Amino acid sequence: MPLLEVDALCKSYDGSAGAATLAIENISFNVERGEFVALVGPSGCGKTTLLMCIAGLAAPSGGRVAVKSQLVDRPPPDLVLVFQEYNRSLFAWRSVLGNVLFGLEAKGRGGKAADERARRLIGLVGLEGFERHYPWQLSGGMQQRVAIARALAYEPEVLLMDEPFGSVDAMTRLELEDALLAIWKELGTTILLVTHDIEEAIYLSDRVHVLARRPSRVVETVAIPLPRPRHQVTTRAEPSFMELRNRIYRRIADAG
Amino acid sequence: MRADRRFNLAGLGVFAALLLLWELYSRAGGVESYLPPPSAALKALTEPNVARALFGHLAGTLGRFLGGYLLAAALAVAAGVVLGYSRFAYSVSEVIIELLRPMPSVAIIPVAILCLGIGDAMMIAVTIYAAAWPILLNTIDGVRNLDRTLVDTGRTFGLGRVKILWQVALPAAAPYIATGLRVSLPIALILVTTSEMVAGVNGLGFFILDEERSLRPANMYAGIVVVALLGYALNRLFVAVEARALAWKRGLQAKGEA
Ligand SMILES: Nc1ncnc2c1ncn2[C@@H]1O[C@H](COP(=O)(O)OP(=O)(O)O)[C@@H](O)[C@H]1O
Ligand SMILES: [Mg+2]
Repeated sequence: MPLLEVDALCKSYDGSAGAATLAIENISFNVERGEFVALVGPSGCGKTTLLMCIAGLAAPSGGRVAVKSQLVDRPPPDLVLVFQEYNRSLFAWRSVLGNVLFGLEAKGRGGKAADERARRLIGLVGLEGFERHYPWQLSGGMQQRVAIARALAYEPEVLLMDEPFGSVDAMTRLELEDALLAIWKELGTTILLVTHDIEEAIYLSDRVHVLARRPSRVVETVAIPLPRPRHQVTTRAEPSFMELRNRIYRRIADAG
Repeated sequence: MRADRRFNLAGLGVFAALLLLWELYSRAGGVESYLPPPSAALKALTEPNVARALFGHLAGTLGRFLGGYLLAAALAVAAGVVLGYSRFAYSVSEVIIELLRPMPSVAIIPVAILCLGIGDAMMIAVTIYAAAWPILLNTIDGVRNLDRTLVDTGRTFGLGRVKILWQVALPAAAPYIATGLRVSLPIALILVTTSEMVAGVNGLGFFILDEERSLRPANMYAGIVVVALLGYALNRLFVAVEARALAWKRGLQAKGEA
């Protein structure tokens, strides 16, 4: 039984003049427990819309989503979404530590153990020493890392991430990718990550679903047989990495 | 913001000069007895029986103010959250709000006297009524402007409606609520003093009017000085508490994101 099932999902938005925008046409895929799956597609193709439907934050216009065989008609427990608009998702009145603790408090965990865990995650995303800072005192990339740490602190079974490294510089991006892979391995979390960066999708995941332009659908699913643990230099230099990249790139270009 | 933290020497100088002018003019016999020199008001303040009386009146005024202001805050924040959250609740009450809001609040005093008689209940009721408006309207605004992403963040972490209200909506609306509270503070003091003048048996408002009628203008000015100091002290206290409670917001403002 797959942990996450997306079955014939459609979503249209009501336009202002009565004309509805069809954001997602017909998307189906499954994610198995413990898998790392990436969705890659051009901007505006409906990736955020899809994640909102899976997270139970938007109602699909057709089709269904199920987590652990339970139909998603509200935000499922054990599933957390890291929003693309990370800066609007942080609590401005809470410090970095307070924001990360929010994920633990939401699970009813507090006290010294929660505090230690929050501090460990803050360290893992490279924000040690910034525990007492408020979000406005941090750069965009640092804010994004707070949002990631907060979601990881919750220890969800399924973690949805919407372009989580969109606003960090290239060097930090590579570090965070590896930190995410390490945490994924340690916690056994199931991750569905959305990105428009083809190489990032390949580097991180077991499988890549390629989305076409709006109205979006899965035009191809590419298995990533690259061995783990992966390495930023050697993995990306492998001929099969190049082949996968070219194949996905052509697929997106053709579909667009 | 920063300017009022500094010691404004020039401003104080002008103030002192005006007092001095008044003092000299008054002593030279240039004005009638209704404008005694400032030193006479100060002297009245230091007379034991006046000071004792004033202290009692101050306590009465402060008690009514606190009762009315705090109750207004609790009621208006609660109502504002409901009206900000629910379009239905707002549209049902919109006409009433739009009609009552522009009415000068003191016009409610005779109504309150009719309904509640003369006494603390009536004075606290009109204070609640007047002080509630700015808090109510600002709270509605704050809850309305709540970022959808913040609510969704609460939801994805499994929070229910009530917890989202307490842990997300209220803190996010706190700066708006604080604005309402700051505007309401002098309004509450105005209504307490006015209703004491109209229908009080003690309190600073009562004292000021009573001394005027008893032809003791020096005592009247002493009462005015005390009520002015009370307003000043309450405002300073409020600003200090607000600065602490909303410390997280100061930087946001500095960055121009608030
Ligand atoms: N709330 C909304 N109302 C109307 N249209 C929307 C809304 N959100 C997204 N859309 C439209 O749906 C399409 C997909 O958007 P989105 O899911 O944000 O794409 P992506 O995340 O891949 O960039 C876009 O054309 C966008 O304009
Ligand atoms: Mg998006």
